[in-house]
Amino acid sequence: MTDPVRHKNWDFALTVITVALLGTLGVQSFIGTVYVWWAATAIPGFEVSGYGRFVWWMNAIAAPQVIALVVAMGLCVPKRLFGRTALVVVSGAMIAVGLGAWALTGSFGNGLAVYLALAALIQAVVVVMTVAGARGPSYLTEGRLVKTGSGLLHQGFIGFAFVVVALQRSAFMLPAFWIATALTLLGTLLAFYADRFAWRKTVRVEVDRSFADEPQG
Amino acid sequence: MNPALVQAEIAQLIQTLGAIGTPLQALLPAAAVLLVALAAVPAWRPLLGPAVAASAFMLLLGEIVLAWFHWRLYDLAVVMSPDTGRIVGRVAVPLWVESEKLYVWALALALMAVLIRRHRQELLPGVAVILAVLMAGAAIWGKPFTEPLPSFLGQYLGYLQAMGSGDPARMFGAYQGMEGARQFYYNTIYMWVHPPALFFAYATFAISFIATLIMVRERHSAFETTAYRWARLGYLPLTAGMLLGFPWAIIAWQGESWWWSGKVNMSIMMWVLYTALLHARLYLRRRGMWRWVATISIIAFLVLMLTYLATYIVPGAHSYL
Repeated sequence: MTDPVRHKNWDFALTVITVALLGTLGVQSFIGTVYVWWAATAIPGFEVSGYGRFVWWMNAIAAPQVIALVVAMGLCVPKRLFGRTALVVVSGAMIAVGLGAWALTGSFGNGLAVYLALAALIQAVVVVMTVAGARGPSYLTEGRLVKTGSGLLHQGFIGFAFVVVALQRSAFMLPAFWIATALTLLGTLLAFYADRFAWRKTVRVEVDRSFADEPQG
Repeated sequence: MNPALVQAEIAQLIQTLGAIGTPLQALLPAAAVLLVALAAVPAWRPLLGPAVAASAFMLLLGEIVLAWFHWRLYDLAVVMSPDTGRIVGRVAVPLWVESEKLYVWALALALMAVLIRRHRQELLPGVAVILAVLMAGAAIWGKPFTEPLPSFLGQYLGYLQAMGSGDPARMFGAYQGMEGARQFYYNTIYMWVHPPALFFAYATFAISFIATLIMVRERHSAFETTAYRWARLGYLPLTAGMLLGFPWAIIAWQGESWWWSGKVNMSIMMWVLYTALLHARLYLRRRGMWRWVATISIIAFLVLMLTYLATYIVPGAHSYL
């Protein structure tokens, strides 16, 4: 088994990376919006002549961030099942398989889709194990329903990312989208309101504290 | 269908709505001033709860009038094919578009403000100020009773005029535009689910924002818990509303570069920030983490307001410019 303290630090590091990546994507979105606002008034005919180039630049800047986010999400999924050493091996193998698919098909989208499919597969195992009450998966949260909710909503997000990356022009797009949406919403509901659905009610004791008591620095 | 007759009946309906709704619309800024005054003067705050409840009642009454207007409009707003002369359907204009957006947001916030239990006394002044801004905005910019649905009525009355002109080219062009708007905008399930889900979320995030400001002032985790509870209540409809927009956008904005349009950008940014907030607060026990949580929460709400305004400022898909 892994050291729980190390595991928590690893969780924290991944959360910080995820939040930072979400933040940089947010900043890019904001700058992009301000630019379009400015360009629409300052550059004559921008919507006809300049918008296509703007979209190209936005895609080019966002692509590495989205890939890093997908990799972070990919790391988040097996982290619930594996110790740190095994996690590095599994994550490395997932990236290698994704890169292999990219090299073989010549399509970066295919590589990303294969990587996401592997992440979805592992996440499905995590969810099944969580529902079954197995000891393996590690979560930040307590309670089986909350953990199941967290597992399901992450499964839903991976599914949605898969729809965006691989299924936009497929006949399976809508069914896959609805499944991903249902998983995300059910997962969010369980993760936030598990205490309302729990068979055995547990009283969660919230210890209120003053932040002013925290040591400075 | 007689276009001239329908046009006259719609004009009569607008007049009736104006007659019923004008006093209500005039009361909105007056109530807003009263709410701000009650929130600002500590000695008057015991009256704030009843004033918020009265505002909620007034807004609800107005919404019932607007619902009646939409129901009558649904009866009148038929779309007829110039080819066959057959009625292909009616336009079901949702109750939260155009002039009614700020009004619905204010109504959602007012109803929630009535339901606040935890930290009610502390939250109400801040929530009342936001409610006052929304109510004043609904009266000044929205004008849902005196200038209802300007975009829809402009298009529909134009369609009626074209249908009455007898010019086949004009009739066919107007029919295509109106039928497209009916099928892909007004009558889509998306338009009946996405905006109310988001306005519900916006209202909860406004209360969460006020709780965060109090947390920063009081430096106590109890207010963070309150802020979190309201944020999580809004996160579910926010996620649902945005996800449901995806398949609709693919169909409705086919061929358009909607992915990086201003409103979509800002919406994604807002969702990303609230996701970041809900992740960051998992580590609230860490030293100094509350500052990060508060910062993300405040930025997220500012982005929410910019997201709303982006529709009117930034061009692109999902823009009303």
